[in-house]
Amino acid sequence: MIRYLRLYAHLVRFSFSRAMEFRLDFFFRVFMDIQWYAVHLAFFAILFRETRALGGWSWDQTIVFAASMFLMDAIQMTLFSNNTWWFPILVNRGDLDYYLVRPVSSLFFVSLRDFAANSFLNLIIAVGIFAWALARYPEPLGAARVALFVFLLLVGVGLFYLLSMVSLIPVFWLQSRTGLREIFWSLERFGLRPHGIYHGWVRRVLVTLLPLALLCSYPQLALYDESPLRITLHMVAVLVGASLVVAWMWKRGLRSYSSASS
Amino acid sequence: MSPRVFLHVLSVELRSQLSYRADFWINAFAGFLAEFGVTWFLWAAVFAESGKTVIGGYTFPGMVLYFLAVVLLGKLVSGREFEGSVAADIYEGTLNRYLVFPASYAAFKYAQRIGHLGIAFAQFVLFGAVAYLVLDLPRAGVTPLTVAMALVTTMAANLLYFLVDNIIQYVAFWADNVWSLDVAKRWLVMILGGQMAPLSVFPGKVRSVLEFLPFRFFCEFPARVFLGDIGLYGWLQGLALMGIWGLVAWLFGRLLWHRGQLQYAGVGI
Repeated sequence: MIRYLRLYAHLVRFSFSRAMEFRLDFFFRVFMDIQWYAVHLAFFAILFRETRALGGWSWDQTIVFAASMFLMDAIQMTLFSNNTWWFPILVNRGDLDYYLVRPVSSLFFVSLRDFAANSFLNLIIAVGIFAWALARYPEPLGAARVALFVFLLLVGVGLFYLLSMVSLIPVFWLQSRTGLREIFWSLERFGLRPHGIYHGWVRRVLVTLLPLALLCSYPQLALYDESPLRITLHMVAVLVGASLVVAWMWKRGLRSYSSASS
Repeated sequence: MSPRVFLHVLSVELRSQLSYRADFWINAFAGFLAEFGVTWFLWAAVFAESGKTVIGGYTFPGMVLYFLAVVLLGKLVSGREFEGSVAADIYEGTLNRYLVFPASYAAFKYAQRIGHLGIAFAQFVLFGAVAYLVLDLPRAGVTPLTVAMALVTTMAANLLYFLVDNIIQYVAFWADNVWSLDVAKRWLVMILGGQMAPLSVFPGKVRSVLEFLPFRFFCEFPARVFLGDIGLYGWLQGLALMGIWGLVAWLFGRLLWHRGQLQYAGVGI
């Protein structure tokens, strides 16, 4: 474990050095994410001109939802997005070979090699918005509930990473450049709205088979729900299940991998 | 570029699009289902929780019809799969081969872009017809005349989008990656163009400013023309404004293109 942490610290250092070589790109990405935050806040503000609640949540609760969405996105953009972007290319070009011969877990190296330094600045901004959203919330939330909320958001980030890997690992078998990534990108929109707007079987699917409602909505439910233990157990169980699925798919995928001809 | 060469490039691009049929249609179907589905649930919740029957001048079925038109016509306007190809040519140095062609680079890229729209058009007809029949939507004011007007509007909007997009793509002469700018532009178009919410639900002062900006021509304007919400005078006024923005974008793009070529080393990555 210590070895992996030390390795990760080196990877972060290299990523910062690399990011500062392309300063214009660095600021473009910062600008892009700030604009993404502004667009979503404006969008929810426009909706709340017409309604007093959205999916059962008030304006203040929706602001907390939006802030948790920004935080989750910023963490996954910083830690995983560059790596998951390159993964299908590594498989198709046969460059995955270089990752397989390293004396560390190939899944660890593929998933965390590139730390997005430019998104790290956005992560600081997202943390600021998150703190502001919680501070302006009109009712007392309690430190324990907020701590649980943050923990579940981190579970949500892990789940997002695992779901994106489930969509990418099929690149080992499919005659497709990016596996099922485009489909995942389309479906992830379901997770970017409060889960209370969905009903019927769509809602059931979004908390089980395709657990996108667990990314931001469920962690927030833990802030208000009378029995947050049920939500916590549900999320942790889905995270463990998704981890097992990814580990199994990864092993099967590597068995099918035949270098550049994959 | 001669019309014959333009049509040839267009046809080659269309055929290349058809070569990844299964992959393309699965992604297109999932994309449409997710985009339209989330919008449907969101606005159903807004109507239900507000208790209103009309929002921004739309009933709920009218709102669904509006978003159906926006989502499908938006694909014809933006041709998103094509974005980034100019920046990639600059970054990878493949622009070299176009510079020695006896044809305009911009015209060549525009022909390729139009070739990409063949499948978006098929999606418009197929997904539009299925969604319209399944959801039992109101007929609205769609007539052969509004369809013809929408066709002209969509073609003009597509050209305007191409010219605006080129400005961002040409920034690649100075920056290694303009992907972030592309994404930022997309979000701006989505919120200010009426793709996330109709402009009629925006505050009055914001709406009056947005009337004069180019964003609404990429989403709201073609959809409302198609649905028969815009009369002949409003349509001509819209086309004139699109023409003015098109001219501004073209001039600015030309300036960047000429300045950029002075920077371009042609060595690629």
